[in-house]
Amino acid sequence: MATATNIGTELDLIAHLLRRTGFGATPGELEEAGALGYEGTLDRLFNPGDADALPVDLIRRYHADHNDLRIPPSSGSFWMYRLVTTKTPFEEKIALFWHRVFATGQTKVIQGKVMISQIDMFRKYGLGSFRDLLIQLSKDPAMILWLDNQDNHKDNINENYGREILELFAMGVGNYTEDDVKECARAFTGWTIANMPYMSTKMRNNTLRPYGYIAWQFEYDESDHDDGEKTFLGETGNFTGEDVIDIICKNPATPLFVARHLYHHFVADELPVPQWPFEGPKDPEAIQLMVDAYFANDYSIGAMLRAMFESDIFKSESKRFARIKSPAEVVVGTLRLAGDFDWPTDDVYKATAACNYMGQQLLGPTSVEGWMGGDDWISTGSMVQRINFASDTIGNPDKRGIKAIIGRIADRHPSGNVDPEALVEDCLDLVGRLRVEDGTQEGLVEFVREQGDVDPATEDGAGKITSLLQLIVSTREYQLA
Amino acid sequence: MTTETQKQLKYIDTNGFGAAQGGRGYHFPVDIAVRKDGLIYVLSRSGQGSLNGTGISVTDIDHHWHGEFSGYGTADGQMQWGTAIAIDSSDRLFLADEKMQRITIFDLDNNYVSHWGTAGSGPGEFDGPSGLSIDADGNLLVVDHKNHRVQRYTADGEYIDSFGSEGSASGQFNYPWGITTAPDGTIYVADWRNDRIQRFTSDGVFIDAHGDSGEGDGQFSRPSSVAVDHDGFIYVADWQNQRVQVFDKEWNFQTIVRGEAGLSPWAAEYIDANKDEKIAREVFNPYPKLDVDELYEVSARTEPYFWVPVSVTTYGDDRLLVLETARHRFQIFETV
Repeated sequence: MATATNIGTELDLIAHLLRRTGFGATPGELEEAGALGYEGTLDRLFNPGDADALPVDLIRRYHADHNDLRIPPSSGSFWMYRLVTTKTPFEEKIALFWHRVFATGQTKVIQGKVMISQIDMFRKYGLGSFRDLLIQLSKDPAMILWLDNQDNHKDNINENYGREILELFAMGVGNYTEDDVKECARAFTGWTIANMPYMSTKMRNNTLRPYGYIAWQFEYDESDHDDGEKTFLGETGNFTGEDVIDIICKNPATPLFVARHLYHHFVADELPVPQWPFEGPKDPEAIQLMVDAYFANDYSIGAMLRAMFESDIFKSESKRFARIKSPAEVVVGTLRLAGDFDWPTDDVYKATAACNYMGQQLLGPTSVEGWMGGDDWISTGSMVQRINFASDTIGNPDKRGIKAIIGRIADRHPSGNVDPEALVEDCLDLVGRLRVEDGTQEGLVEFVREQGDVDPATEDGAGKITSLLQLIVSTREYQLA
Repeated sequence: MTTETQKQLKYIDTNGFGAAQGGRGYHFPVDIAVRKDGLIYVLSRSGQGSLNGTGISVTDIDHHWHGEFSGYGTADGQMQWGTAIAIDSSDRLFLADEKMQRITIFDLDNNYVSHWGTAGSGPGEFDGPSGLSIDADGNLLVVDHKNHRVQRYTADGEYIDSFGSEGSASGQFNYPWGITTAPDGTIYVADWRNDRIQRFTSDGVFIDAHGDSGEGDGQFSRPSSVAVDHDGFIYVADWQNQRVQVFDKEWNFQTIVRGEAGLSPWAAEYIDANKDEKIAREVFNPYPKLDVDELYEVSARTEPYFWVPVSVTTYGDDRLLVLETARHRFQIFETV
């Protein structure tokens, strides 16, 4: 039986890890990670330094609308800058993961500023204890108004948040009763935002008048909290929201549900979530591995993921290129490869819109269930968008990232002309050790042959290499992570 | 030792209203200028998704609305990324556009006159014209911010000279932004990414610099604009610290204001016309108890505070106007 260590090289394995924990790797990033080795790379992923992304002051100076982040093009593109320029992409992958699971949409909350604050919270708490994360989520102003908890009063409950924390966020259908939903909602009465009447009115009216939006803040209204006795998941007491979260977190259904989401996002495409009550996980062994890590490490999400990334399950051949990239992965990965956004540019709006056209509006999930992912990402229209965006983005030999790739090829072949097979191998290597089927590779080689001699040190050669790179990012295989 | 301060400011009024589609109000305004007849000009840069808000609005200290001109586009008299305006003694208005690398002139009736500018780093070329000021001789000073210098032009756009280069030494700049000419002719430049204000003689010779990075008194975080009154008091829009600081001419710290806006007449009119918002606003606490101390976030959550105070200018002998990008308004202060 093949083991992790005899499938390709360690660099192939690191590239696999960086596709899952980030957006693929530029040649420079892969070289750096290769020097650290697989374990060293994991250590760095879980102990990241400064994001060192494009500075916010520069962004806000040039994009006046990024000062209040009110409307979707502003908030979405503000996040896009961070996604494309961060030195710690794992943080963004975690934020994207929780953004999908705890789907909150600017379509309803209107105010992009509080959506960005929610993403900040995911960065901060996303790898920590699930209990801490659920408490932060329950206090998150965007989530409160998204699921109407400002209307959840002690004498008149609104069960929306109480239901979704059980059904969509932590446990899944089949692991609680309708009575649990109501008792859960009672525990979260009084969890609201400051100046709620004015803020919710402004949200409904959706206008910047008179002075733009005022960012929301969590407020606990003790006078509106139902502190009576509740029976929740078999336990009875005068439960608060925190107590309910404690009970949720120790329930065995919770890590099973979370692990399945993690598997879907980081390991391989799973079945759509609505099928989970009826179909078991594709890989029960992987799920159990993460469940064990959850209970052994105080509900730590980071421990679940680290256990997974260290396992032979994750490293195995069957998990390589086993996921369809999300639109964010396609857009961000391609922009990072090209070396875009060193400086504020209107192109950031185009990139954010492209992600939307492919089916993933950042900060605007289609429903409370988030995006299904997997095959759902692909349609005739979205495929065309994916290919056109990637090809257009890569098709400029003057971009920093493309120049770097061409420069590396030139260094590898100081004598000049590169034979077609070697050139294709080089390019596949330098776009993140992409593996393609034999037929695809033969087609790429044939394309190079048709171009004639390729000397990477010349302008003509650089143009031909750029064309080859455009073709590579247009392949079916480039859509897989 | 504490220095006795001589200058205190008192909030007196707010002018403004969010106008994403143009009309009475502003949309992400970035600069403000006062004409000698008292008309107040506000440059709205606007933003992606609602570029109809781009333009130059005209108002006065009593909230009268005198219309708007220019707008988003590349045609003569239009702008893309407007950064600054300045008005000369002939009431001609100059507009800087950092994307199209050009300066546009309008006459006293707000009609387009001409424009000039080409991209580059040579004499007379621009890489991001931002702050504008009319110097003591009636020439136009242009902060050419990505070239880290100040260029001087005649009022008709003839290049004269420049000073400054990239760096943090005396007389050098790091993406400078706002500029003003004091009544005595001294030139003040908001050296944005060096977190300091620099002073130059009217000939562009370095005099001194003040400030370093931080949130304390006399420290700055990306100062974007500076104004000087007839007594030599200096007002700095401390952009990222969400406040305005005041100094005397020897840089002795005087005071800080962070805004206390109420409803402008235009805003009050809107609230009155929308009963649901009016009712909700009756129980609205403009100063909620906050659980954060990060200044951007504090301002985002507190409506009366400055949120991105971008430009300051004096009005008459004793008033100061403070323009806020993210709240689409300017607050008016007067000397106590």
